[in-house]
Amino acid sequence: MSDAAHAHDDHGHHAHPTGIMRWLTTTNHKDIGSLYLWFSLIMLFTAGSMALLIRSELFEPGMQLMHPDFFNQLTTMHGLIMIFGVIMPAFTGFANWQVPLMIGAPDMAFPRMNNWSFWLLPVAGIMLLGSFWLPGGAVAGGWTMYPPLFIQGGVSYDLTILAIHIMGLSSIMGSINIITTILNMRAPGLTLMKMPMFVWTWLITAYLLIATMPVLAGAVTMLLTDRNFGTHFFNAAGGGDPVMFQHIFWFFGHPEVYILILPAFGIISQIIPTFSRKPLFGYASMVYATASIAILSFTVWAHHMFAVGMPVAAQLFFMFSTMLIAVPTGVKVFNWVATMWKGSLTFETPMLFAIAFVCLFTIGGFSGLVLAMAPVDIQLQDTYYVVAHFHYVLVSGALFSIFAGIYYWLPKWTGHMYNETLGKTHFWLSVIGMNIVFFPMHFLGLAGMPRRIPDYALQFTEFNQIATVGAFIFGFSQLIFLVLVLKTIKGGAKASDQVWEGAQGLEWTVPSPAPYHTFETAPVVK
Amino acid sequence: MMPHAVSSLLHMEQVNTEDCEGVSAGAFVFQSRPNHSLTHRQQQLVLWSLATVCFATASGFALLGYWLILPFAGLEIGLLAWALETLRSREGDYETLTIEGDVIVLEWHAGTHGERREMNRQWARVICDCGTSGRNCRLSLSSHGRETKVGQYLSDEARLQLAATLRRKLQA
Repeated sequence: MSDAAHAHDDHGHHAHPTGIMRWLTTTNHKDIGSLYLWFSLIMLFTAGSMALLIRSELFEPGMQLMHPDFFNQLTTMHGLIMIFGVIMPAFTGFANWQVPLMIGAPDMAFPRMNNWSFWLLPVAGIMLLGSFWLPGGAVAGGWTMYPPLFIQGGVSYDLTILAIHIMGLSSIMGSINIITTILNMRAPGLTLMKMPMFVWTWLITAYLLIATMPVLAGAVTMLLTDRNFGTHFFNAAGGGDPVMFQHIFWFFGHPEVYILILPAFGIISQIIPTFSRKPLFGYASMVYATASIAILSFTVWAHHMFAVGMPVAAQLFFMFSTMLIAVPTGVKVFNWVATMWKGSLTFETPMLFAIAFVCLFTIGGFSGLVLAMAPVDIQLQDTYYVVAHFHYVLVSGALFSIFAGIYYWLPKWTGHMYNETLGKTHFWLSVIGMNIVFFPMHFLGLAGMPRRIPDYALQFTEFNQIATVGAFIFGFSQLIFLVLVLKTIKGGAKASDQVWEGAQGLEWTVPSPAPYHTFETAPVVK
Repeated sequence: MMPHAVSSLLHMEQVNTEDCEGVSAGAFVFQSRPNHSLTHRQQQLVLWSLATVCFATASGFALLGYWLILPFAGLEIGLLAWALETLRSREGDYETLTIEGDVIVLEWHAGTHGERREMNRQWARVICDCGTSGRNCRLSLSSHGRETKVGQYLSDEARLQLAATLRRKLQA
């Protein structure tokens, strides 16, 4: 057979590499999905441990455990790793596993690029974590990297910029792969308006990523040149404008918030109909609401900057445009509730997390509306109220949706049912722990406690102690999740192909566990 | 949730036709090609919509003096254009197996590569072996010590069906 013929037929049906080489060289979407999810879990425990250190220091006023500069490093790295190392990779892991299965494609459109997308991430992760051991320690100016602090830092700041570039490259390659896979590899008959909501939300997320990543890359590169090459983009000492960095950063940063939450909406939109045994209420309106949120996300960036000073007209514009986002978000919440209305509900662990998502994310949304009001925001800027707000969005929103998705699809991935008792224990401890940590932070913020400080005034002690206790409950309950995942991979009751009685979609038509190769011939959707 | 039902996975999109152009009426022709759901026009729409947003944003910042966003936007849209162009180049991929008289012709086209192989029907053997789970099936035609894989765009089930059909045709 000719070389071309070899190349033509080289599908790896036999002789898959084994051991470490399987994972290093794999181009299989399921393997790469698993790699993303494991990377995310490792980073969750890493950044979560940082959070526990932070909360330990804050258990009492005064300095107990660490130097304030190390506290700042932990705060910064906790944010950076949770966003770029936990939430984003976890959703990309879901996309890798589920998008081809849900659209009837054999794999991603560019499997080798998919491999590179993943393996860039550990490199960036090592750079970020390794910077703790560099002279001066890790970056300590906050995950937003504002100058002038970021221009004045040590060598770890350069390393962080490089790590962000690498993670950005990984995201861009992943996004291009997802867009081309969804648009070009849908099974015959699977029109755009028949796609599962998870696929829709990822398509829109990938558009957002591609639209915003050059802005982040440009911003951090200008920081780099300000630091090392004598430019003065943001260096006020040379005539630069540090506030402009904030504009540029948040032009990326606010769409990034939706990059972190839109796939969560997609997961929840899969789970609620399954356990309500009803089709999703208002499918088309869900699609349009998702697209509206994405478009509006480009018009609200300056609500993060009301305190820097801007014309009243600008304040009004950004205030109202931010409030406007509540409309499509409200459509989503309404549709989830309407889907459950008069459904035959059962409360397995994925559904519990999904319901918790709807309730708690809505609290985060409402506190976001409070912060959208410019005069209120000026009072609450950089207080613990903001910390409470974004943790309700990102923990009970993004992270809970990740848990929900893992419980939902784990039987399909492993072929085994997870232990429901352990799952529900994990759920209740997480929900209770999460609320004990973050709900008191609203009161701390309203009382004026600033964020990102290692010490505080005596009157904030009780709420901080409650939050710290909650943090340890929440943190250690994640070990239950780890045990559950390992047990499910190792064995357990055999999962059926359908897994859940009410589940619908192409992924449930393949065996459990999903075979290494699926949909080599495209199915037809009617 | 998808509002519509899904048909059987064994449904094959591939063409199994007896009346292709250029072959006689009695010939057996089996052609398969990968699934493409994006038209060229839609590809252009994807590219230009994203390019417009990226370059408009980058140009806006460049006009304010923050020009370093522009090259990153260019690189990214370049990568997207390459990806879409690669997809377009795969649109013509196909694999055709023709049995006409005593001649078996295998033709395939992938990207810029094309290949054609002929073998004598009397000497050809169908080889089909699967993994222990009945999956990862490999189908090939062998003749004069050379083995040529067929059915690269097919599922295991479809490969097994094609193997049975080929055995019947070669024995006929």
